[in-house]
Amino acid sequence: MHPLLRSWKTFLLYLAAWAPLGLMFGLLISVAGPLTKSETATLIVPVIVVLAFACLSPWYMCRALPLRSTNPWRLFGQHALAAVVVAAGLLIAASAYVSSLSDVLPGLNRGYTRAAPVLGAMITMIYLLSVAMHYVVIEAQTSRRSELLAREAQLRALKAQVNPHFLFNSLNSISSLTAADPMRARQMCIQLADFLRTSLRLGERTLIPFSEEMELTRMYLSVEQVRFGGRLQMAIDIEPACDDCEVPALMIQPLVENAVKHGIALLEQGGEIRMLGRIVKDGLRFVIENPYDPLAPSSRSGIGLANVRQRLDARYGSAASLDVEASDDTYRVTVLVPAKGAQASESMVRDEKRAS
Amino acid sequence: MKVIIADDEELARHVLREYLERQAGIEIAAECSNGFEAVKAAAEHRPDVMFLDVQMPKLDGFEVLELIDSEIAVIFATAFDQYAMRAFEAAAVDYLLKPYSEDRFRTALRKVEQRKGEIRPASLPAELKAAARLPGEYLERIVVKDGTRVHVIPAGKLDYAEAQDDYIALRSEGKNWLKQQSIASLEAALNPKRFVRLHRGYLVNIERIARIEPNTKDTWIAVLNDGSKVPVSRGGYQRFNSLVGG
Repeated sequence: MHPLLRSWKTFLLYLAAWAPLGLMFGLLISVAGPLTKSETATLIVPVIVVLAFACLSPWYMCRALPLRSTNPWRLFGQHALAAVVVAAGLLIAASAYVSSLSDVLPGLNRGYTRAAPVLGAMITMIYLLSVAMHYVVIEAQTSRRSELLAREAQLRALKAQVNPHFLFNSLNSISSLTAADPMRARQMCIQLADFLRTSLRLGERTLIPFSEEMELTRMYLSVEQVRFGGRLQMAIDIEPACDDCEVPALMIQPLVENAVKHGIALLEQGGEIRMLGRIVKDGLRFVIENPYDPLAPSSRSGIGLANVRQRLDARYGSAASLDVEASDDTYRVTVLVPAKGAQASESMVRDEKRAS
Repeated sequence: MKVIIADDEELARHVLREYLERQAGIEIAAECSNGFEAVKAAAEHRPDVMFLDVQMPKLDGFEVLELIDSEIAVIFATAFDQYAMRAFEAAAVDYLLKPYSEDRFRTALRKVEQRKGEIRPASLPAELKAAARLPGEYLERIVVKDGTRVHVIPAGKLDYAEAQDDYIALRSEGKNWLKQQSIASLEAALNPKRFVRLHRGYLVNIERIARIEPNTKDTWIAVLNDGSKVPVSRGGYQRFNSLVGG
């Protein structure tokens, strides 16, 4: 629905804004006619009211023909055509209206013939002006919406940074160690502090080198290893070429946290989390696998995954992907991000561009 | 006082043991690292109190609570605060948020002593149960005890439940399982789009219904895929129709 039609107040205000336009119209027409004051008013008031409504219609056309993605000739052509149709329609209606009044106001009928071209030109101009105004309004709306979306994404990323349950469970481990093994308790405090500090620092940035993300992931796992002991094993195999690739901050760590929370933590014997990083044709491919118990008591999984997927989608669109495969006992997540900063891949991207 | 600790994290069990050892008259009967063990240990040692973590391998803390003797007092100990409402609904004595102090722990033990002799109600009113659950979150599996063993029935594999006095008989994969629960509280926990109460005494998996045949003037008979028959009341027939949109 048109934003001006959403409330009576704004709509009445909109109609009131047409009063000065109507006055101007009337002045020009009465000169072109020439017409008397009452003749002019009889003609102009209904014309202006109808035009006020007609000038709301570009809203739908403007949205169907977005400014950026439409061919400018087509854009202009369509709106010009609409303007001509509106002007012609109004003129035809007006002449019928005027001739029906010829008995009462014969002067109007005579003057109208001369005033019609002026009237038609003005209607066309006003209509096109309203098209331009609509584009301004639509543009303002979209920019406000994308700003909101960006802010929301920022908030979500902040929230994703530190999972409170991870924090509380870690504090519980420290609380346990303080009596039994004070040295390890202190060590864990330091590891936890390192992880928190790094994750806060990285969270402020949008893109970071992959090596920094993996460093954070290692810090996270070292804290979890205190908690889970021998139940948490890991194997990390990252190709050195991945290190300088730019990836969204805090993209990998939530995936690892997922693997711990929904995989290892629900297996009595625990298991091994395997991570693989490779540079492939389309960018950087990261695979994380963990064993899991398909019959485990349900716990909400996928929130961390959905968050990462949304962020990838917002930044790269279809150039990035996140795929999940769950077999009987293994859960695998594969992430593909277009690699920026990796020299090998950059030249490949260039080659691809040349080829296409 | 006999105590059992169930937590999959060794360090978490360690704190509890440390606190418990400083109390007089406490005997730690067993320490368990998963839900199955906890249920088994509860039957074996008949403790006065059980400390349960919520997220554990095999069975979660709430499932353990359902399967143990209702005279055993339960204290949950978890890092998740969102289960507090469910813990209350399950009539747990207390709910400790990790990490907790020795003082807080003593308060929980004192509550157990105050409530000694009280028996946990088998189940609270269905409305309260539904209120304790997050919207859109339904029971995905049902746990039953078969002697000393625990059997898990995924919700999708349950054909129907039949009320029998204080018990419900659960029909799944050609077998019957008995559980001490009311049919109303099971109905409140399961997804209402997948399970329909065809009769006061019957809750049926909608995917298992092959057809519904008229019986007497105001009653019907539902024939399930495996050929078994379930009575349908007038209200049940209406509920079924509104669910399938017929």
